Amino acid sequence: MLETLLERFRRRDRRALARLVSLAARGEQVEEILAGIGDSARPARVVAFTGSGGVGKSTLVGKLIEQIRAQGQSVAVLACDPQSPLSGGALLGDRFRMPARPDDDGVFIRSLAAVGGQGALAEHLDVLIRLLEAFGFDVILIETVGAGQGDTVVRELVDVLVLLLQPEMGDDLQWEKAGLLEVADMIAIHKADLPGAERVEAQVRSTLALGGASTGETPVPPVPILRVSSRSSEGINELWQTIAACPLRRGRQKSERDLLRLALQTLAVRFATARAGESSELQHLIRAWQQGDISSAHASSALLNLLANSRT
Amino acid sequence: MDKTPPLRVVLAKVGLDGHDRGIKIVARALRDAGMQVIYAGLWLTPEAVVRTVADEDADWLGLSLLSGAHMTLVPRVLQLLREAGLEHVGVMVGGIIPENDIPKLAEMGVARVFGPGTSLPEIVSFLREHSGASHA
Repeated sequence: MLETLLERFRRRDRRALARLVSLAARGEQVEEILAGIGDSARPARVVAFTGSGGVGKSTLVGKLIEQIRAQGQSVAVLACDPQSPLSGGALLGDRFRMPARPDDDGVFIRSLAAVGGQGALAEHLDVLIRLLEAFGFDVILIETVGAGQGDTVVRELVDVLVLLLQPEMGDDLQWEKAGLLEVADMIAIHKADLPGAERVEAQVRSTLALGGASTGETPVPPVPILRVSSRSSEGINELWQTIAACPLRRGRQKSERDLLRLALQTLAVRFATARAGESSELQHLIRAWQQGDISSAHASSALLNLLANSRT
Repeated sequence: MDKTPPLRVVLAKVGLDGHDRGIKIVARALRDAGMQVIYAGLWLTPEAVVRTVADEDADWLGLSLLSGAHMTLVPRVLQLLREAGLEHVGVMVGGIIPENDIPKLAEMGVARVFGPGTSLPEIVSFLREHSGASHA
């Protein structure tokens, strides 16, 4: 079943891609998928967009799709929306702001549910990126939930992280709190056709300048700040040019490290699950952890010891 | 890992019909029932809907029509789904559909038509009962 899917994937069957994305997003057969998709011919440019809800991430991504297609590059979008912590359901409503021609095979848009407490991203995003890259997309755009602090994790996974701000969104201390200004590679002041965009830009510039003054050490290269409007299309082209000029940060080594870590995690979980039935020591350990008698740190190191000793 | 994955349901309005109150209420109810709802929006062409269903790897498609064009648009969507090899995707229709048209739509392959007055739990339990365990 999976072998057929992978075979179709390698023949660039789009429905096989869609199905493999579903499996990978649920964390199923991740190892086998990664082994079976093969290496991508060339690295994709992976760009993430973050910023609070309503700032216009989906709309801007939609505009960029047009821009990227006009230049003849293919583009895949992973749009994350929050999953309800109560029901586990999710209302994924990003793609309707991203018009794409239905007959254009150069655009693939996928909506993903971001599990509560996992930051602003869907799980297994690293695997999903590799899938899309191996399928041959030139550009991969990731839209985060925009929850704020958790978003800093996304920087590890992508080449360029773009933070979206908009006029009248609170004072500069708000951004400082969220910790986003320091990790963004680029700042786009969206809805720049509205009054107040210049003021936001001035605030951002002065906040960023503060950072340099306090450390006084290595001068950080200035973060590009652009004013962009999806409504008037002002600055869209410039934004994409600036993104395209950024170096590709994700090295091959990095993604291989991810792979190794991932494989290790999968293996450990599988092993522990398989042994739970027969090892009373393991069952005891898990019960003690569930009851709160021992900490997670203690439980995990005890678990590791157990695994190391019992493996034949 | 052995719990069944949440159903993925694409909800869409096709053609020239801007009344989206009903479809949004259904979207909310399905989300609250633990499903992943992909809201595809208004004024879509059948082609755009089918592309969305394919790329989102959906289990169900819900079409809402209040324009009276259901006997033109729904068969077109069903045909495109078949052409795309997506006949495993269940199709439900909601909105203003005259009694006489319901059997015709069913014959074409629509799993169920939900008219005005349908209760939300009715839709939820219909989807649950008619979704095989083999969706993975």
